[in-house]
Amino acid sequence: MVRLPYTTALTTLFSYGLLFAFGQLRDFFRKFVDWFKAKNIKGYAPICLGLEDFYVRRLYLRIQDCFGRPIASAPDSWFDVVERTSNDNNKTLQCTSNTTRCLNLGSYNYLGFAAADEYCTPRVIESLKKYSASTCSVRVDGGTTKLHAELEELAARFVGKPAAILFGMGYVTNSAIIPCLIGKGGLIISDSLNHNSIVNGARGSGATVRVFQHNSPAHLEEVLREQIAGGQPRTHRPWKKIIVIVEGIYSMEGELCKLPEIIAVCKKYKAYTYLDEAHSIGAVGQSGRGVCELLGVDPADVDIMMGTFTKSFGSCGGYIAASKEIIQHLKQSCPAHLYATSMSPPAVQQVISAIKVILGEDGSNRGAQKLARIRENSNFFRSELKKMGFEVLGDNDSPVMPIMLYNPAKIPAFSRECLRQKVAVVTVAFPATPLLLARARICISASHTREDLMKALDVISRVGDLVGIKYFPAEPPKIAEADHDKLE
Amino acid sequence: MGRRGEPYYVEAAPPVDVNKNTEWFMYPGVWTTYILLLFFVWLLVLSVSGCSPGAAWTVVNLAHFAITYHFFHWKKGTPFAADDQGIYSRLTWWEQIDNGQQLTRNRKFLTVVPVVLYLIASHLTDYKQPMFFLNTIAVFVLVVAKLPNMHKVRIFGINADI
Repeated sequence: MVRLPYTTALTTLFSYGLLFAFGQLRDFFRKFVDWFKAKNIKGYAPICLGLEDFYVRRLYLRIQDCFGRPIASAPDSWFDVVERTSNDNNKTLQCTSNTTRCLNLGSYNYLGFAAADEYCTPRVIESLKKYSASTCSVRVDGGTTKLHAELEELAARFVGKPAAILFGMGYVTNSAIIPCLIGKGGLIISDSLNHNSIVNGARGSGATVRVFQHNSPAHLEEVLREQIAGGQPRTHRPWKKIIVIVEGIYSMEGELCKLPEIIAVCKKYKAYTYLDEAHSIGAVGQSGRGVCELLGVDPADVDIMMGTFTKSFGSCGGYIAASKEIIQHLKQSCPAHLYATSMSPPAVQQVISAIKVILGEDGSNRGAQKLARIRENSNFFRSELKKMGFEVLGDNDSPVMPIMLYNPAKIPAFSRECLRQKVAVVTVAFPATPLLLARARICISASHTREDLMKALDVISRVGDLVGIKYFPAEPPKIAEADHDKLE
Repeated sequence: MGRRGEPYYVEAAPPVDVNKNTEWFMYPGVWTTYILLLFFVWLLVLSVSGCSPGAAWTVVNLAHFAITYHFFHWKKGTPFAADDQGIYSRLTWWEQIDNGQQLTRNRKFLTVVPVVLYLIASHLTDYKQPMFFLNTIAVFVLVVAKLPNMHKVRIFGINADI
């Protein structure tokens, strides 16, 4: 739920209308200019429909330099951003050999494992020497090493489920698993702001997909009642099974899922639950066990728990944790397990070491320190931003905080001005977010020190004033009052 | 708006519309922007050409006809490559909004706007020809295109398929 001034809504709509009108005008004239150009596709049908890339050509390419910036170092709290130039007004970009050292507010480096770590990196290098960079095989053929087996057991234990299965890519974990769990005749009810991987998996499964209002257990109940009563479309037979898919932390909103209420609704109507903890595993919870621990939900109540290793563990890949029977079924039927190359062994070792640090099994309390630091950093940063008058989404304890920009012109303004002041932020626009709700998404890390955060706040405040995104009145600074007045 | 210079805030709850081409229409402020846009274009036409207000409204009405007919009822599909496997590639924008539901508030509003424009333009030109004829054609075509019975209808196969 975002609150924006009414005039901002009007100006945002007007800006998009203007950009759209100019884009259409340019396309119209381009048609004449290209009329005389020789076409060498005689007889072939065009690969792309000309209309579909209007948004990319006329809106996205204008501000292309704000997205996809290449980096030249590990994504630690400070990193090197490659400078790019353009000779044709951002239509093409050329990388230069210069880099700028910037503060990193965009990487999903929640616990600081993205850069060299004193426990993880030596072990990763050792495993690289022993197992080499790739298993060169599929899991079922020769691609299961000791490390894979160890990580599967460790991931299951970490999350609190009986068994787990690994995949080489986080996106594929969702899009290849969901079709194995449900098919035609089943019903998937997914949150309206679910990630593209879930949407893709749901579409690929062949099941009927229904969407419920973001994070609203009441609407979920309404949809469940309507669908169970109605049954399958046209035949009205009962559904073969119903799976409700939600995420732990929504990456574009920074919000936590209302998990206890949603689980209660699902139990009432006997629907299965699938929890995608891509952003919350390792980053929230007392011991980093994710949103179940934070909200006090028993992991046994969630049927399938999915997570990725890319965010808090500094590696790549994903996992599914569920009961032994489900994991066994997935190992026989999931194409990502049967036909895709297994995870790279050094990446597996990185996750194993990271989980050991988080659990404290490496013999130190660095894990607990990191978790405490990220919680502190997130809460401090969010409250300071709110005090300055920015519209910041997300719940407390969540390390993801989107700052609302709204107007399309403020996206490149904010992004470029911050880069000029050596702070690298990620801005998100349509179609990853709704058209009017463009935002700058900040990801806080445990490796950010207090000085880093103060510098970031300072820069963001100045840029925010310049760009005009302080939509709420700022809190006046508290005047320190004397402890007590001495009247005598 | 609001008390003593405080901005007036509206809440924008994300609507449950999976079609990104049309979900922007469900946010607050869209109707007002549309009406204000028409009004400012009328002012622009009036100030640039120096014609009578009625002629300016006629120009606005006809331009509105051309633009809305092209973008609402002629162009099909989405202007960005949505990975929805082209389920909207045969539907015009009008057929896509509100998920294909007929007679919603948005649709009723969009049907009323050309009628109101017609009444203003006709009244201010004193119902004289040829403006009256052109305005009538504009409102007739636009209102008929928006009727629920015309959902997915392609007359004489005009604009059918890709």
